[in-house]
Amino acid sequence: MQNFLLGSLDADRRIEIEERILREPQAYEELLVVEEELIDQYLAGELSIAERRQFETHFLLTAERQKNLHFGKLLKRYVDSVRPAETNAPAKKSFSFYPRLLAERPALAFAASLVACLGIIFLVWLAAKNPERRTQTTVRASMAITLAPGSMRSGGTTQRVNVPPKGVDLKLELQLARPTYPKYRSQLLRESETLQTTDGLKAEAKGDQHIVPLTITREILTPGDYQVRLSGVLDSGQNEFIDNYSFRVVE
Amino acid sequence: MNKNWLLSQESFDALLAWLDSDRERAGIKYEQIRYRLIRIFVARGCAEAEDLADEIINRVTSKLNAIGDEFTGDRERYFYGVANKVLMEYHRRRQPQPPPSAAVDSNRVEQEYRCLEQCIAQLSDENRELLLQYYQGEGRAKIEQRRRLAERLGIAPNALRIRAFRIRAALQECVEKCLESNLR
Repeated sequence: MQNFLLGSLDADRRIEIEERILREPQAYEELLVVEEELIDQYLAGELSIAERRQFETHFLLTAERQKNLHFGKLLKRYVDSVRPAETNAPAKKSFSFYPRLLAERPALAFAASLVACLGIIFLVWLAAKNPERRTQTTVRASMAITLAPGSMRSGGTTQRVNVPPKGVDLKLELQLARPTYPKYRSQLLRESETLQTTDGLKAEAKGDQHIVPLTITREILTPGDYQVRLSGVLDSGQNEFIDNYSFRVVE
Repeated sequence: MNKNWLLSQESFDALLAWLDSDRERAGIKYEQIRYRLIRIFVARGCAEAEDLADEIINRVTSKLNAIGDEFTGDRERYFYGVANKVLMEYHRRRQPQPPPSAAVDSNRVEQEYRCLEQCIAQLSDENRELLLQYYQGEGRAKIEQRRRLAERLGIAPNALRIRAFRIRAALQECVEKCLESNLR
């Protein structure tokens, strides 16, 4: 939807989305939501150079969107001026059960302690009995695809990949023009929702190119359009946006 | 663009009847189709999106005698077909010029900001808290905060997105009304 709003979709995909917008109330509301999110990303400096250009020359074409951008600035100004809200997360439950049990039913508390100790001893014995089990690690199979960044992709086509079989993960090889950063960070998005964030990624050489490998677990992949947002991480910890990588998962 | 052909009451009634046998449902469908056409034209880079949407509605209405009951598919699809034709004509006719950005009036901006503060104060505690927690922060911290917020509210992340959007849209409307009443 974001590429649709920036005017960077191929004709077939654009027509598909336009028909959905016309027929489905959810698609129409999704369009409005993504418009606001795009404005927020622009204001936060989270768009790539190419996306920024498209935003300013294509997205902002109408007075209504300029008005929405203006409101987005006002809202950001307000939110940034307010002290970060304290979380309303419920206070972590302190484990007060055992002291209470000890006070009210000391015999039961003693029996529970004994059972726990015996359980620990049993587990230690089991581990010692089968040392090779400690070194076993489960290695999942994976299928790999190479993705070119949005700025390098020719023809504007989106790479398609079939839903991996169960137990098989998807390994993305994100092409880089230059391996400039010591580390990388990725965000996997679907319909503007972040599904997975991965830190500590490193570039690798592959032939005469450089890639950043990223594994996505099978369990979060369902048919649809995905985007990986790649950022470089400086030694100071600051992130610098590099590019977006798109792919489509099909049945 | 033929702005001379306006919808007469009779033609408008015929259009509604074609959209749905129930007049009220037909009216809702008409509005939805019009808003969505406008959105599509805006997404296609048309500065005159509302005029184009009205043009399409006029053309479809003028063809009702010809298509009548013969057309049995989605009514929206028919509008979309006419929309593509109108768009091609529009692009052939002219290169759309982006509207000039309005000059920033700092007094007006401050007035808008005060209206925003008033409107946020009028929100329920729950909505105000949701708004702040949803939009505060940056980067990963913001994403994590939203995830925790959705968990705390017991709703899916997408439902939280929609809820935040609706609060924001209502706020924007409130600010516009506040400005209008201040200008009177």
